[in-house]
Amino acid sequence: MIAPRRPEDLRAALAETIVGQAGVIEGLLLALLCNGHVLLEGPPGLAKTLACRALAAALDGEFKRIQFTPDLLPSDIVGTRIFDQRESAFATVLGPIFANVVLADEINRAPAKVQSALLEAMQERQVTIGPQSYALPDPFVVMATMNPLDSEGTYALPVAQMDRFLMKVNVGYPTREEELRILDRFAVADTQPERAVATLDDVRAWRRQAHDVHIEEALKRYIVELVAVTRAAGDVVVVGEHGAQLRAQSLVDYGASPRATLALAHLARGRAFLAGRDFALPDDVRAVAPHALRHRIGFNYRLATEGVSADAVIKAMIAAVPAP
Amino acid sequence: MARNAAAALILAAAVLHGAAPVRAQALQRLTVESFALSADASGPLVDVPFHLVVTLRVRETVGQIANINLPILAQLELLGDERQTAGGPAGTQYRETITVVAHQPGTLAIAPATLQAVDGRDGKPKQWYTNALNLHVRANGTQELRAGERTIASAAMLALYAMLWLFGIGCAGAIGVLLFRRRRQTVSPEPAPVPPAPEEPQPSSASELEDALALLRAERTRDAAVRVRSAVWRTVGAADGETLADVLARTQGAPADLRDLLTALERSAFTYDADLQGAIDASVAALERRLGDMT
Repeated sequence: MIAPRRPEDLRAALAETIVGQAGVIEGLLLALLCNGHVLLEGPPGLAKTLACRALAAALDGEFKRIQFTPDLLPSDIVGTRIFDQRESAFATVLGPIFANVVLADEINRAPAKVQSALLEAMQERQVTIGPQSYALPDPFVVMATMNPLDSEGTYALPVAQMDRFLMKVNVGYPTREEELRILDRFAVADTQPERAVATLDDVRAWRRQAHDVHIEEALKRYIVELVAVTRAAGDVVVVGEHGAQLRAQSLVDYGASPRATLALAHLARGRAFLAGRDFALPDDVRAVAPHALRHRIGFNYRLATEGVSADAVIKAMIAAVPAP
Repeated sequence: MARNAAAALILAAAVLHGAAPVRAQALQRLTVESFALSADASGPLVDVPFHLVVTLRVRETVGQIANINLPILAQLELLGDERQTAGGPAGTQYRETITVVAHQPGTLAIAPATLQAVDGRDGKPKQWYTNALNLHVRANGTQELRAGERTIASAAMLALYAMLWLFGIGCAGAIGVLLFRRRRQTVSPEPAPVPPAPEEPQPSSASELEDALALLRAERTRDAAVRVRSAVWRTVGAADGETLADVLARTQGAPADLRDLLTALERSAFTYDADLQGAIDASVAALERRLGDMT
């Protein structure tokens, strides 16, 4: 009898290929389990592409990468209709978005109409080319990256479009020990991603199980309070660059939407499922809260002038809400 | 500001004073079971005193605990410090209660207290840390009044003072007469001061766990499980609003059965209804194991 495959197998397979970056790996797994998409922000060279490729390989799924540039067109992503002279008819050529794992590299380098074409496909999970609609494969995960260091020639993503990402993960540099392991592993040749430790059917089954994870009433109220504090931070205080105490409310233009509430619940369920539980805990909610909230809160210019990081404000907001 | 600075200096001096003998004397050999820092109010009010409590439980029976270093409470005014050490066959419980007051609203980050000792488990000198605390100091109601409201309030107060002044002048003669008459009357003895009620003894961890076990056996509901979870968390110095990860981090050196108990109670509090009875069974069993280990 074959033992049932578990998400942990997938995590282990990804860890075989990628050194460190536990946050990215967990983000990918959560997005897969919760049927959502991930926005990754971090400097180049931090194994974002490799993580995507490894995930697709470990699932025996299809991987596509789209490099966003200012001259990209929506048809370069979703596909187009071309005239076949031999057949004397139009034929549809599907774009690179038709894959299980799609890496939208430097999404903010393309103009708004291209971004919205991608984000609409992410939301609707289908694209329309000419008169015909085409369903995207299932599972379908988009991992979009943004580079925080180089903002010249970029088009900021509109708030409504940012909101469509289930989570935003900040990708950091590896530790010294991890970097030594990277040297050992990749010095001679590229490590090939682990092949097929789970199937796409497994992912669909996991997703159903993750969806059934129980969230107790008190935990639902905690989730709602966490989102509410982003809209009315009250007396939440953060310490600025020069030690000044600042009211979090003065740094925020607008708080998270109800979509954040749903995202928090989905992600908490996913995290509980990854931990082998069929009920979620306050720890699950607190752990995923920064990922679900950081791209949904509108910070104003004072954040930069006071030298406060967005994550520090979010951390203070989360700390201000007592867990049940 | 000056009071805060003074408090910082006093506490720093106290810390240095306490730290000096550390180098001179040998470290105590202790098996630390729990070491925690808590506050009796997660949202203290400005200018209202509250308590920070350092609790330490060790397996050995010792007369006193040395080498505990408190955090520097620069943003708080120090009002008092009380230490209690209770030893018994089951070990020693140390409790230090620091009375402080905040004069500014906002979030206070209090660093962990530390303990230096030779670990009774492996004989190596180590430093233990409590949890850190994040307290949210809230402004008093009067301080939250806005400028307009303050103006109206001060105008109303002025009018009230004026009325009182006029009333006072009008009644001055009558009061004088009353006072004169009182002096001539026999002075009745003042009532004897009521002796302060004896402090209720603090229940020990074991008795709290026994109560919790009795409650959970009698009332197998989620509500009871949640109450028992709060009671057990209090025994390890956890404050309201923390999560299991915080409490487990605090009890890292604690016996495995305590950690099992915390995990089982978390399941009882948050699992789905069909699993609740099984979760309560597991919690009862974990409580029994913990009590058996303690006695």
